[in-house]
Amino acid sequence: MMSPYLLLIPILFPVLGAFLLFFLGIPEEKDRQRNRYLETIVVLTSISVWILIFMAEREPVQIYSFISGFSIAFRMDGLAALFAGMVSLMWPLVMLYAFEYMEHSKGKNRFFVFYVMTYGVTLGLAFAANITTLYTFIEMLSLVTIPLVSHYGNHESMFAGRKYAAFTIGGTGLAFFSVVMTTVYGDSGRFVLGGSLNMSQLTPIMEVAFLAGFFGFGVKAAVFPLHSWLPTASVAPTPVTALLHAVAVVNSGVFAITRLVFFTYGAGSLMGTVSQTIALLTVVFTMVFAAAMALKQRHFKRRLAYSTVSNLSYMLFGILLMTPHGMTAGLLHMVFHGIIKMSLFLCAGAFIHVTGNEYIYQVNGVGKKMPLTFILYTLAGLSLTGVPLFCGFVSKWNLVTAGIEAGSPQSLSGVFALIISAFLCAMYALSVSVRAFFSTEESDLYLNRPDVKEAGKSMLIPIAFFGILNIVLGVCSQPIVDYLGKIAAGML
Amino acid sequence: MLIPLIVFGPFILGPVAYMIGKKNEYVRDLFVIFVTGAELLLSLGLVFTMPSFSINGILCGGLSFTTDGFRSVYGVITALMWAGTTLFAREYFEEERENLNRYWFFVIVTLGATEGVMLSGDLMTAFVFFEILSFTSFTWVIHEETEGAVRAGYTYLFIAVIGGLVLFMGLALLKFATGTLSFADLKVAAFTSPHPTMVFVAGICILFGFGCKAGMFPIHVWLPKAHPVAPSPASALLSGILTKVGIYGILTISMTALYGNETFGLLVLLLGVVTMALGAVLALFSINLKRTLACSSMSQIGFILTGVGMMLLLTAEGSEEGAGVAMSGLMLHMVNHSLIKLTLFMAAGVVVMNLHVLTLDEIRGWGRNKLFLKISFALGALGISGVPMFNGYISKTLLHEGIVEGIHHLKKYSGMLSVIEWVFLISGGLTFAYMLKLFICVFVQKNKDEKRQQAFDSDRKCMNVASTFAVFGSSILMVVLGQPFVSTHLARYMTGFEEILHFHAFSPENLKGSMISLTIGAAVYLVIVRRVLMRDGHYANLWPEKLDLEELIFRPVLTKYIPDALGAITIIFGENRVLKPVLSAFFTRGFGAVATMFGENKLLRPLCKAGLAVACFASKVFESVLDGLILLLRKTVMREKKVQGREDPSPELISTLYTELGAVARPLTSGFTFAMMMTCLGIVIVLCTIIFVIF
Repeated sequence: MMSPYLLLIPILFPVLGAFLLFFLGIPEEKDRQRNRYLETIVVLTSISVWILIFMAEREPVQIYSFISGFSIAFRMDGLAALFAGMVSLMWPLVMLYAFEYMEHSKGKNRFFVFYVMTYGVTLGLAFAANITTLYTFIEMLSLVTIPLVSHYGNHESMFAGRKYAAFTIGGTGLAFFSVVMTTVYGDSGRFVLGGSLNMSQLTPIMEVAFLAGFFGFGVKAAVFPLHSWLPTASVAPTPVTALLHAVAVVNSGVFAITRLVFFTYGAGSLMGTVSQTIALLTVVFTMVFAAAMALKQRHFKRRLAYSTVSNLSYMLFGILLMTPHGMTAGLLHMVFHGIIKMSLFLCAGAFIHVTGNEYIYQVNGVGKKMPLTFILYTLAGLSLTGVPLFCGFVSKWNLVTAGIEAGSPQSLSGVFALIISAFLCAMYALSVSVRAFFSTEESDLYLNRPDVKEAGKSMLIPIAFFGILNIVLGVCSQPIVDYLGKIAAGML
Repeated sequence: MLIPLIVFGPFILGPVAYMIGKKNEYVRDLFVIFVTGAELLLSLGLVFTMPSFSINGILCGGLSFTTDGFRSVYGVITALMWAGTTLFAREYFEEERENLNRYWFFVIVTLGATEGVMLSGDLMTAFVFFEILSFTSFTWVIHEETEGAVRAGYTYLFIAVIGGLVLFMGLALLKFATGTLSFADLKVAAFTSPHPTMVFVAGICILFGFGCKAGMFPIHVWLPKAHPVAPSPASALLSGILTKVGIYGILTISMTALYGNETFGLLVLLLGVVTMALGAVLALFSINLKRTLACSSMSQIGFILTGVGMMLLLTAEGSEEGAGVAMSGLMLHMVNHSLIKLTLFMAAGVVVMNLHVLTLDEIRGWGRNKLFLKISFALGALGISGVPMFNGYISKTLLHEGIVEGIHHLKKYSGMLSVIEWVFLISGGLTFAYMLKLFICVFVQKNKDEKRQQAFDSDRKCMNVASTFAVFGSSILMVVLGQPFVSTHLARYMTGFEEILHFHAFSPENLKGSMISLTIGAAVYLVIVRRVLMRDGHYANLWPEKLDLEELIFRPVLTKYIPDALGAITIIFGENRVLKPVLSAFFTRGFGAVATMFGENKLLRPLCKAGLAVACFASKVFESVLDGLILLLRKTVMREKKVQGREDPSPELISTLYTELGAVARPLTSGFTFAMMMTCLGIVIVLCTIIFVIF
């Protein structure tokens, strides 16, 4: 067993390592040098994460204490291992993709420094052992990703960056109320499965605090009234929209809410309260609303961004059911949606990178020129809809059965909404594939475009990896489901 | 080992076929014929060995396969259909052999998926393979990539998706209500379930889901559109097998979870009757060869569903024998219809590959001198019309017998069932009428265009040996299955219902039903088809265009009303309409108000000014005092000889301070940053309050 102090390594290493890049003075055009340096950092970090997942002691380690109760502490537990493991698997691959995607972009040094720093911050968020630490890292995550969103520096990007900052920083401020309340009334906001509050029943003020926390962290998870930063932020480079706005940042919101529901307030005391109903109905509404919005979008990445909004609500739906099965299902969707959305975004990015087009009506016929990309896109789309053989089916099946098991009218309405939004999902995801593969000769835009062909290797490898993962996990999902079941039962 | 080979083999060989096709199309064509042939041989093994097979731990609860009489027969028929169409497709696709890799890949994979459904031992397995075949068969519909095909493809795809999702929902409900999805345990589990209503709702969902594929009213809309645009070998499979997959699903639920459920039976019966009648009428009005056959498929599905409904009702009543008769009838009719549609669609395919058109006026008279085709088509037509000595006769008679049993045993529904009996007989008659229409048009009448007729007559050859073998060989089965001995034994094998062996197919009562149907059919042909539906000797399309369920209801609902409703939501809550003003009012105006209230113009500036003024005044006073003091001192104690007038720096310093302070404060107080600062301030205030209140 290893000392839990070692948890600091994967958090600090990418942050400092990336920061060092500024002082190394690698010129903008020296791509290979920089790429090697950064990929080494990221891969080493990922390796250390996996070593820690298996070896680190499950003891909390306190790094610094502000005042009594409010402290920065880290701990490796099942949920942390899940989130960190997922992120650490994706980062090295998307880095590869980013190297090719960003090759003609300006300001690569700045971009990659922040991109790698985000990795460390995300891991810190995963390892957080109490709510203060979680809150700190969530705010840090917002700050460190702002330069990534406005990377291109044009008017749109700057606006997106401002909006992103206003929503995430300002919104997460709401959660501060919850942070303080749970720290004071709980065991210093320590994360214990089943809740760490020292009251048998929630007082109304605590329910308000929970809702503040839910909506505060829910900004990251793009819960309905506070969702609109996510589609706007899709102007960012694709590696950012894929990894951060489909997985790391948005899932950190879901992760935080999971911590809030199951590890601080406790599912037992929240179940059946008004606050649960309010949160659940918000999420149910978001599912359908965002799916409908996605159908309306004509911009490829905006459509996918709205789809993310909708799917984040699936996860939150599972978690807000507040049953172990619901938690399993929600977390399962977190992992599987990450894989699927990664796949979708990377394919969309490859399309944008190769053709320079960004709109849905411009994909007509491109499937014949980029068959691999769009086959994998189609598989991911089917998976997102919930077709068996793909991983989306497993999580959706668990969500639906968990919803039916919970049996309350809210949860049943959620199940219904889930089915409707799955249908909408088929419409918005698969219509792209149909356009790409089956366009009539008149509408084929790429018939006489010999320059349009598959993207390069370092883009295709991550795309293929996630595509294969999509099917492999869809068929053999049992180990992951069991693992998550153990987390939900508090055995890890 | 047999089942994994049959089910998973095609999933592996599909990509292999694709790879081969990249190198050489001819080898690929032979390879797919070999694959389907091998599949046929293997599936024959099912009948003798009756294996079962399961894999645990994958796909939400594992896959399990089982065989019984019905399943093994359908396993064989599936493989037979594939073998026949593949054999035929070699000639059919002669002209576009290069672009068929995709087509063959999906055909082979769908074969595996279909066998997977047919041999499934639990609903989850059935669902998994059902979804696969839904999506893989989509490529058949859209294969031609014409405008019509794309449109039909969308219809097919979305109905498949809706069906899949509703089925998914049904499965989840059933799993919760009964705790199992295995066909073996479902019957007992459903009867002891604490949630009977949920079981019923799950049954409805499953009926809808599988009904989508079966072409059941009101979700039949894809069927008449998709079959004509697909290549003929694929139409044969769509019509002959994929609809049966739907029926198979409805049957499994009727035999297990909702076994003998009266309400469910009534529902299926009524939907079946509507499908049966509507399909027949649509087929009668159609002037397109393949569309007629497609509508005919729909009608025959209605016949089968009527049988399912009767079986459920009779089981509910406790009439074992009646239920057995209905069950034998419906299963036989499934088999018969698959084989008949195989023959008929391949015959239609022969027309398409020679003429590339399907409208009756243009193909009229083409088959006058094509003997084998004529015989094959005639056998198929006789089979489907239920003429004695051909296969449709026995199954339709059994279905009719089921309804008659119902009239005897189910007193409370006897009135309704009598009406249904007549609808049944008339639909049977319409079947005869539209088949006569097709046969006479293609094989008897002469074309209106005499030059065209001459061209037709001069060309005797229409298909090669392999295709003739496929088309003619499959049509022989009509006669074989038309023998009561063969049919009743087949029925007993599938249903396990022994008394069916004593069924007298040619008893006077049974013949009477058939004769009534055929008479009605002949009359309809002579009166309606020849007098009403033909204008100036042409086959006229008299079906009102507007009467299209899809165009009338589904498409508007799906593409207009639901998006409108959702659009209304998105408009109301969308970022640009209400929400944004509200949010901006909240975030910018609200903070702005705070900012202005405390901001430079209202409070802060006057305050600053006042403060500065006070400070100015105070410093002035202080200064004056000091100056006075200094003056006093200079005048008195510290007096010097020469005192130069000193410039007073103070007012300038303060004015500089004022402007400097303003310059620092302006960017702070204006806009976003200030709002953020105020938020932080708010947080700090909250924090302080809480800390001071609590501690």
